[in-house]
Amino acid sequence: MWGVYAVTELMTFVLIGITTGSVYGLAAMGLVLTYKTSGIFNFGHGAIAAAAAFVFYELHTVRGLPWPVALIVAVVALPPMMALVLERITRVLSRGTPTLKIVGTVGLQLAIVGSLLAVYGGSMLDFPAFLPIDTVELLGVLLGVDQLITAGLAAAGAVGFFVFFRMSAMGVRMRAVVDDPDLLSLSGTSPFVVRSWAWLIGTWFAALSGAMLAPTIGLDAMMLTLLVVQAFGAAAVGRFSSLPMTYVGGLLVGVLAALATNFVSGSEILSGLPPAIPFLVLFVVLLVVPRGKLVEIGGHRVAPLSAPLVSTRTARILGLLAIVVGALVPFVVGAKLPVYASALVLVLVFYSLNLLVRTSGQISLAHAGLVAVGSAAFSHLAVGAGLPWLMAVVLAGVVAIPVGALVAVPSIRLSGLYLALATFGFGLLLENVLYRSELMFGPTNTLPAHRPALFEGDTAFYYVLLAFAIGCGVVISMIGRSRLGRLLRALADSPTTLSTLGLGTNVTRMTVFAISAFIAGVAGALWASNGHSATGAPFTSFVSLTWLAILFLHPGTGAAQPIFAATALGVVPAYITNETVNEWTLAFFGIAAVLVAIYESTRTAHRSAARHVTAANSSRAADRLAGTGPAAERLRSALGAASKRSTPDSTRVRVATSISARTR
Amino acid sequence: MTGNHRDDSGLRVDGLTVRFGGNTAVDNASFHAPMGTITGLIGPNGAGKTTTFNACSGLLRPTTGTIGLSGQDITRQPPAGRARSGLGRTFQRMDLFDSLTVQQNVSLGLEARVAGSNPLKQLLSPPAERTAVRNATEEVLDVCGLTGLRAEPAGSLSTGHRRLVDLGRVLAGGFSLLLLDEPSSGLDSAETRRFGAIVQRVVAERGCGVLLVEHDMALVMSICDYLYVLDFGEMIFEGTPAEVRASEVVRAAYLGSEAVDA
Repeated sequence: MWGVYAVTELMTFVLIGITTGSVYGLAAMGLVLTYKTSGIFNFGHGAIAAAAAFVFYELHTVRGLPWPVALIVAVVALPPMMALVLERITRVLSRGTPTLKIVGTVGLQLAIVGSLLAVYGGSMLDFPAFLPIDTVELLGVLLGVDQLITAGLAAAGAVGFFVFFRMSAMGVRMRAVVDDPDLLSLSGTSPFVVRSWAWLIGTWFAALSGAMLAPTIGLDAMMLTLLVVQAFGAAAVGRFSSLPMTYVGGLLVGVLAALATNFVSGSEILSGLPPAIPFLVLFVVLLVVPRGKLVEIGGHRVAPLSAPLVSTRTARILGLLAIVVGALVPFVVGAKLPVYASALVLVLVFYSLNLLVRTSGQISLAHAGLVAVGSAAFSHLAVGAGLPWLMAVVLAGVVAIPVGALVAVPSIRLSGLYLALATFGFGLLLENVLYRSELMFGPTNTLPAHRPALFEGDTAFYYVLLAFAIGCGVVISMIGRSRLGRLLRALADSPTTLSTLGLGTNVTRMTVFAISAFIAGVAGALWASNGHSATGAPFTSFVSLTWLAILFLHPGTGAAQPIFAATALGVVPAYITNETVNEWTLAFFGIAAVLVAIYESTRTAHRSAARHVTAANSSRAADRLAGTGPAAERLRSALGAASKRSTPDSTRVRVATSISARTR
Repeated sequence: MTGNHRDDSGLRVDGLTVRFGGNTAVDNASFHAPMGTITGLIGPNGAGKTTTFNACSGLLRPTTGTIGLSGQDITRQPPAGRARSGLGRTFQRMDLFDSLTVQQNVSLGLEARVAGSNPLKQLLSPPAERTAVRNATEEVLDVCGLTGLRAEPAGSLSTGHRRLVDLGRVLAGGFSLLLLDEPSSGLDSAETRRFGAIVQRVVAERGCGVLLVEHDMALVMSICDYLYVLDFGEMIFEGTPAEVRASEVVRAAYLGSEAVDA
């Protein structure tokens, strides 16, 4: 009897998993298709889904239109407009460095989510269940009709897309591009048309998944966005490349998460695991898949050269000026002092992120997690173990180092986009599993913290924070002038060359992640100390994304960026009296990040173009274009086949791909 | 030590095969680049020259074959290890550290090697090392005629100067064997001649070995002591420049590709 029960039980979870997994699969296919055709991995994919759900809500619930009309507008009619905008933005971004591409689409996400939060608020709204909510029995399991329709729609979308992909001329062109993006420019078809179609389908899929996920989980911009981020895990199963495997990945992620819900029920520590399964999949796949199978579309681009904005001497004077201004703040700002105190903590956060991202060219989207670890560790050490304040702060930084080293592990084999995704997965794992467990923030999810004995007052503690910020700035500028500083900048420019010169670059990567984690951990300790409590809420992965976008708002490279970023994020919003100022600033930072990424990408593009004209190293590309030898002949015939109406024999397209891989 | 015959000096590659999936890029190639000489590796486009280079410097793992440097088997060493054993290389695409100055680029040639995989050495440079790096950098800037450009960011240089900085970087590193990957591409004939002269001078003064992959036949014929010819991944000929010039096999390989070109 028990066995039958268990099988039915299991079946329930499998079917539920397939329903949601089907939606993830659909969203993920849209993501992979646009990534492969445009070279841009859209971090804003989930935000598009959320936007579509909110448009439906606005039209149907708020304005009272019948649901089919609202659905058609939100899911069918709106995406083409978004797709055109996305195509334009990403066309420029695709010429930028991997970091700029990430900053650009992260900005897109912030812009959309920020606007939605500002207009509709952060609390969850009731999403109308527009589909029938009767239940039917399937394989001994009771299932909602709406769930069945959802799964059916998602599957139909996937199958319809496969048919389109296999049969239509545009599908064939897309496949050629998905196999090898370089073929696009060679095949004589307009890249604009193919890319626009890809964005259109991608946006449709995102919008559809948003409208389908919202009824079951409710309308919450942040949550919907993150749910579609679960599609990242599905895309990882398809190695960011195979569309059928991506759909299978979606099902797999859905079923695994549903099963995990079953197995961890009762366990306190693992309760956060089920929703984190996709992120675990994302992290693990990126760690184990052979590097050769993960080829970043668009490849390596040189960062634009930025001459220092000011001379070293001026920079020193400005630095001293900043210290003087910082010291005068308590006499001027009155009741706003706490704002400045938290901004000083942010200065440390941005110094550590800046060292990692802008100086050494590594990307970490788990940075908020490191700060959270630091603040939890501080509370355990200072309050729990009763250590002296300063010692607890320093040790909190030390505790963050091994976590930083874990984040650094993917950096040994990955760079650019895949490093970003792996660290993002790691950050989400931390947030979902560790933040919620008692281990980190205790049973109430908040731990007590205190300030040092003689500096309890706001003004006194402000000066302590100022001292830390200055100390951090001095250490960072010393690193910048030291051998390590040169090695890090060289690492950002060309890690391969650096290793052929004899440097153990993995050691360098570990070192920079460790230093950065230490500073982030100290910042976490100061944060907790300043606010008298340690909690994970201010350090979500979404916050990591926000930090990255804001860090790029200030042009050039130098010590001024972290101060600028901290002021923009910490101080400016406090002077605007508006209920939704934080949401609007988020949207504003998002738009600004998109614009900055676009601007910097154009500069990168100009530079690489200039380089190609002077250096004859485009000779290989030229060879491929002009075509010499039997290999090129085969490539040409494959191309001809791909651009003709007929469905090409797939082996030939594969030959072309392997040839171009070899010529590269 | 003195009893060693020339077999063991320099870079020795035996039976190197590199396959990418079903494609054989390099097929059972063997060659030897001894110290104190300039050895050329030539062949038409796609012959497998750069693949051979990447296998030698450790950027790809050969399917079969062994690579030895001064009698030591380095086949299994990572790129950084090979560099520390004395193997330096330049890149056809001139991968300079664009955001650093010319001087910093050149000095990193030695600093990267000195720092190696030691975290403390990566962090700090003792005064003695700093002096050594400064001296090596000054010497190389002088040899390559880059002294006037030392403060320029490498990213703003012309191709000709970029080639020199790339070369300067490996020269500063004090590598005993240099792999130079198509150094003349993008250079005009005067710049090419100047480049050739610097390489010859360095080999004569330091006694290091050079393996040169090059398309510019004038440069190859004028500075190389010995040549290997690759075609479709196979070593089809080896000999002195004069012998290569006279060879029917080599002519056929090059003419063949030209015929396809036309």
